Amino acid sequence: MKGVVFNILEDMVTEKGGLMMWQKVIDKAGVDGGYTAVSTYNDDELFAIVGAVVEELELPAQTVISAFGTYMFGQLASRYPVFVDSCDDLFSFLESIDSVIHLEVRKLMTETNLPSIKCERIGDEQLVMDYRSPRRLCVLAEGLIYGAAEHYKTPIKIEHPVCMHKGSDYCDMRVSVTHE
Amino acid sequence: MSDEAELYRKAYEREREARKAAEQIVENHTRELYLQNQKLEESLKQLKEQQRVLVQNEKLAMLGTLAAGIAHEINNPMAFVHANLESLSDYLEPYQKLVALQREALTLPPEQQEAAAAKIAKHMADADLEFFEEELPELMEDTRDGLQRVREIVANLRSFARTHTQERHPEDIVAGLQSTLKLLNSQFRTEVVLQQDLQPLPLVHCNISELNQVFLNLLVNAGHAVEGRKGATISIATAVAKDKVIIKIGDNGIGMSEEVKEQIFVPFFTTKPVGKGTGMGMSIAYGIIVDHGGEIEVESTEGEGTTFTITLPIDG
Repeated sequence: MKGVVFNILEDMVTEKGGLMMWQKVIDKAGVDGGYTAVSTYNDDELFAIVGAVVEELELPAQTVISAFGTYMFGQLASRYPVFVDSCDDLFSFLESIDSVIHLEVRKLMTETNLPSIKCERIGDEQLVMDYRSPRRLCVLAEGLIYGAAEHYKTPIKIEHPVCMHKGSDYCDMRVSVTHE
Repeated sequence: MSDEAELYRKAYEREREARKAAEQIVENHTRELYLQNQKLEESLKQLKEQQRVLVQNEKLAMLGTLAAGIAHEINNPMAFVHANLESLSDYLEPYQKLVALQREALTLPPEQQEAAAAKIAKHMADADLEFFEEELPELMEDTRDGLQRVREIVANLRSFARTHTQERHPEDIVAGLQSTLKLLNSQFRTEVVLQQDLQPLPLVHCNISELNQVFLNLLVNAGHAVEGRKGATISIATAVAKDKVIIKIGDNGIGMSEEVKEQIFVPFFTTKPVGKGTGMGMSIAYGIIVDHGGEIEVESTEGEGTTFTITLPIDG
């Protein structure tokens, strides 16, 4: 996992509970706690930290991870605005994840374990995302999608009928535009 | 917050911002490097292709200069093959008559045998068949040899002209030198003495087509250098030295001045008049040898001669 994800997690935790909370969390997770954005770290370290956060906040893991996803979108968008600026709407942004964003990541780093993300539009108001990753962070993906939806001011709901946590080898996330 | 903690907080904030800026710089540099690398790889691909075209063109240009000589090479044997076949066809009719007479003689009764024998003997004398019978084996042998020579020249030519791949294999350099020499038989007029000291060499890992091109180039140049000289000699020698092989091609021709010697491997440099030679032969030869991990050196004295020494690693 690229270091920038750890940095963003640290930002979120310190925003909520100050430096104290981050210190607690990394002590609990048993990790160093210092991460450089441009470096790559073990996935397990991230999971350990997220686990410690879940314990600290006494919230369900799904909630924490989803919230992290939404927060992370905002942070990534402000660090790398070019990716968001070049897409006018939510669906074209989602389609650009695999073809543009991840392509750039692969250019800059040699060993990346990026998830496979394939999008298919069904009509104007629905998009199905096929997500595959050995890390099964589909909940994080959902959080990111909600974050993106907020940015593009497009209210959506996500249905997750096929899931790797339910024994399948891929996830189907159905993103539908809602009208409130 | 206590004063000290406040100081630390401020310091911490500064460090964070500085660190973020550094990370941004690193990412930008990485992206730049990636793009540069892409451009370089593209350029390299283009250059390699251009180099291949250049080498092939040089080879064909060289073949052009050899064409007249090679045509002569082929013409000579063809001339006597043609003459021999003419002879054979001249004697065909008398031979057929001889066979007919003998066949006829076999059917005659004994008392007419003697007359028939005399008739056959006269026919053989008239048609000079006995002489021809003596000559026939040599005639056939010469014809066969002549055609074999032509076949070899054509094979060498085809092998040389073929666009070769850039692969390398263990090859017999002495065989390469010998086949190259065959292409040049007619270039060196009879006055040129060819001194060969070809020690057997171990198989060398190389592209023999490319090396043959180098040898051909050096030999043609040597031929030009000795043109019109009394006692013109071109020498070729091979030797092994530890893990390398050494090939020397020398001549006792007009030699080169210091200035010319310095520039000999420079592309487009030539001492030939306009229209003769591409000026690329030596620089391509240099490139081929260096590409093989070898060295090519030249010694020369104006008015006395030139020697090229090529060193190649056996294992490439």
